[in-house]
Amino acid sequence: MERGGNNVFRPGKEILIFDGGMGSELERAGILAPVPEDLNLDRPELVARIHRSYACADVITTNTFGLNRIKYRGKYRIADVAAQAVRLAREAGKRVFFDIGPTGALLAPLGTLSFDEAYDAFREVVLASRELADGYILETFSDLYEIKAALLAVKENSALPVFATMTFDANGRTLTGSSPEIVVRTLEGLGADAVGVNCSSGPEELRPVVSRMLACAHGPVIVQPNRGVPVAEAGGTRYPLSEEAFERAMRGYAADGVAVLGGCCGTTPACIRRIADLSGRPVAARTVPEETSVCSARMFVKMDRVVVCGERLNPTGKKRLREALLAGDFGYLADVAMKETEAGAQVLDVNVGVPGIDEAETMRRAIAAVQEYSDAPVQIDSSDLRAVEAGARYCCGVPLINSVNGERETMERVFPVAAKYGAVVLGLTMDGRGVPATARERVAIAEKIVQTAEKFGIPRRNVMIDTLTLTASAEQSLVRETLEAVRLVKSLGVKIALGVSNVSYGLPDRPLLNRTFLAAALAAGLDMPIMDPLDGGMTETVRAFAVLSGEDGGAENYIRLQGGGTASPPPSAAEPARTLADCVKRGLKEASAALVREETARRSPLEISDLLAATLEKVGAEYERGVRYLPQLVASAEAAKEAFSALSAFFAESSGEKKGTVVLATVRGDVHDIGKNIVKVVAESYGYRVVDLGKDVPAEEVVAAEKRHRPIAVGLSALMTTTVKSMAETVEKLRAAGCRAKIFVGGAVLNAETAARIGADYYTKNALEFVKKLGSL
Amino acid sequence: MNFSDLAARTNRYLGARGEVPPACGELVEACLAEARAVQRFRYVSRIFDETPAFLRKSPYAEYFAGCPRVALCAMTLGAEIDLRIRRLMRSDPARAVVLDAAASALLEAMSDEYEERFGAARTDRFCPGYGGSPSEDVREIFALLRPEKETGIALLPSGLMVPQKSMAGIVGIGRRAERRCGDCAAKEHCTWKEEGTTCFAPEKRS
Repeated sequence: MERGGNNVFRPGKEILIFDGGMGSELERAGILAPVPEDLNLDRPELVARIHRSYACADVITTNTFGLNRIKYRGKYRIADVAAQAVRLAREAGKRVFFDIGPTGALLAPLGTLSFDEAYDAFREVVLASRELADGYILETFSDLYEIKAALLAVKENSALPVFATMTFDANGRTLTGSSPEIVVRTLEGLGADAVGVNCSSGPEELRPVVSRMLACAHGPVIVQPNRGVPVAEAGGTRYPLSEEAFERAMRGYAADGVAVLGGCCGTTPACIRRIADLSGRPVAARTVPEETSVCSARMFVKMDRVVVCGERLNPTGKKRLREALLAGDFGYLADVAMKETEAGAQVLDVNVGVPGIDEAETMRRAIAAVQEYSDAPVQIDSSDLRAVEAGARYCCGVPLINSVNGERETMERVFPVAAKYGAVVLGLTMDGRGVPATARERVAIAEKIVQTAEKFGIPRRNVMIDTLTLTASAEQSLVRETLEAVRLVKSLGVKIALGVSNVSYGLPDRPLLNRTFLAAALAAGLDMPIMDPLDGGMTETVRAFAVLSGEDGGAENYIRLQGGGTASPPPSAAEPARTLADCVKRGLKEASAALVREETARRSPLEISDLLAATLEKVGAEYERGVRYLPQLVASAEAAKEAFSALSAFFAESSGEKKGTVVLATVRGDVHDIGKNIVKVVAESYGYRVVDLGKDVPAEEVVAAEKRHRPIAVGLSALMTTTVKSMAETVEKLRAAGCRAKIFVGGAVLNAETAARIGADYYTKNALEFVKKLGSL
Repeated sequence: MNFSDLAARTNRYLGARGEVPPACGELVEACLAEARAVQRFRYVSRIFDETPAFLRKSPYAEYFAGCPRVALCAMTLGAEIDLRIRRLMRSDPARAVVLDAAASALLEAMSDEYEERFGAARTDRFCPGYGGSPSEDVREIFALLRPEKETGIALLPSGLMVPQKSMAGIVGIGRRAERRCGDCAAKEHCTWKEEGTTCFAPEKRS
């Protein structure tokens, strides 16, 4: 019997044929097993027969799709099923790839499974199979983050080849929104030996996805479609495509350069036999451009045009961000990330370097917060190697790493991490002797960085160079050298970044210098300015440059954004609002805050505060009478919150103005948090400080928050009868820990009786009742 | 439910009882348009000639009485709309609340439309949790239908589904039946009923 991992196994050089469907073959044999993996032990002769029927293929995949501890609910030990599954697959006398499918749970933030839990589950099956199989196939994944966990689990625990496929919908995206380019870029970056698509639909429907993959994949592409789009019928599922049509489509793919071909649901041994003769033929040649790119799960950023990297998530000189990082207030980072993205940033620099902080853990959480609220890819900015590795591991997609310089030691530390995760690394043209004065010397350092990276297996396209902006006030003559270096380094075939605003340190009207230098640098060939996207002058300069360089074809984007005649104002602002009360009632945030500032000239802060409270009271009463409805209540609450926050600047002791703290959480097991979020907005508008623990919160975390924040109330939310149990447990643990706060509960399935039964103090029907009850305490 | 009822349904989910102010009406329309743009509707079903065992109890037995076949089904709008609502909750909560309701209404409408392929003689979709049926029965549907792979819906240990705009239910085939309050266990504290309507067709007055 042949074994893999040797020199005859060359995916990408010669076409490799995989087997076809297992589940649908079982169904054809009349078996509808709730746990198909158990058939390896319960019906070994049947499973082996199906494997043998695929002996025309080069590679047989094991019947282990759902064999991970999160999904598997069978009656055997995972290691025993794995061993038996490989044994049965070997009966076909071909190479055996161990099949790993998704956990069936959705990873956080959309679901509740953590990256590490998913990784551990995959690792367990890898450990159980790595001595037995010839390779791994990760298949039918629909979430890029989950397949990243699976791929790392294979790569870190086995030296066997690993192929990775995901499913795509009719729009050419995975279920969580990743494009073919994103999937290829991420999985190749992580070292998959072949990347592709499986299941999804029929081979014809997959054509656009496959073409896009072939256009960007540097390694082998694998395609394993269903036999057409399945049709639900009485008595089972029918796959409509004929064997001939399947064959025709697959031969077309081989001609286009697909290296590994096989089948998924509904394909039969007859389907595979029809394409088996392709085995061993040379893979059709393709040319793939060398392009620099990074991505998140949903955004692919190619550096073939000017890309703005937002610099605001860096605590240097930013007190509010520093405080947020120290307090673990990642919501603030999310807000900054959203603002930068909205202003046009396509990459977000993330730096969490605050003295005394656990930088690796903080980086992990910061990246999670940023990626939850923005689709822009991240640039991990740290000199702490552990933080760099944490960022690269836990981010979804492909990050930039900022940075290395020409010193051998930093390159040797950082390059292995960049190579492992497929990251783009940013190299600074300096070394132990500092920043060289001349452009020529900086180019020499850039060359050294590029060459060293290549030795570590990092292709040139995954290196960017920062030729370093010096300040015009201190080193005026060197500004030109930086620009000259941009021009020269470009000829090495790498993309260029610059931290633009350094140029203006110590001089008046910094924005003017910044945007002028930016224009000069863009003209010299700068690809990625690292800058403040909220600086209107700089953002407009980038926009204008895109017209002059031809990037913005027909000046379409420019006309849309600079064309003056902006979209009509939102309907709520159609008639002028005159009074503060009016603005709050109509939910006009900015106007409310502005009017507060004006009003302080005429009235005392206390009077204004009373006015706001009275307005909210009216809004609440109207809501209760059904005159106003939920979105209006929420909009008014937001406007009032904004107004209070503007007002707090005029109180001597702003913190003293808060009425007290409220801790809110959606309990463990529950992910529906819209109700809780509405309570948060309304409570904040009434002047309470709200500590929002989020959703799926374990009881212990609520108890810890109660101890730490000493709130006047803890509010718990649950949507389902099943999660009321975990609410009861949370209440019990709070009581046991000597909770002094009043415990409020709410949610669709609750009522006063249930609240009393589980030991809560109050049940409130909605956000308004909640704040009223709070006020009466 | 028809697509023409979408705005009315959304408004009812939001608790509108009287006239909806024009500004809010526009917001609802905008959010419905956004929900349609962001949705990735997926529907899987499997038709059973023999009624699965968990349906041989009240209230299913009565509801599906006389149906020669039943379809188990699961459907979702996908994960991106969850993310969109989550993000809006930070930047524009009022819009988030409306989009959330609009998405729920859209999922109902798209599912109703999809079910037309089961023929006119079919029951309204019945989901575990309706009419006092145990919401835990969603596990029975998942065990028999295994919709995870095709829809991307995950069933949490608590019995909740994610993405949040997902449903799992049963359609009886061969006989027409509409949902009624009947002997719904929630009848005693039903806020819909207090307002003269129902949870399954809140845009209609009873």
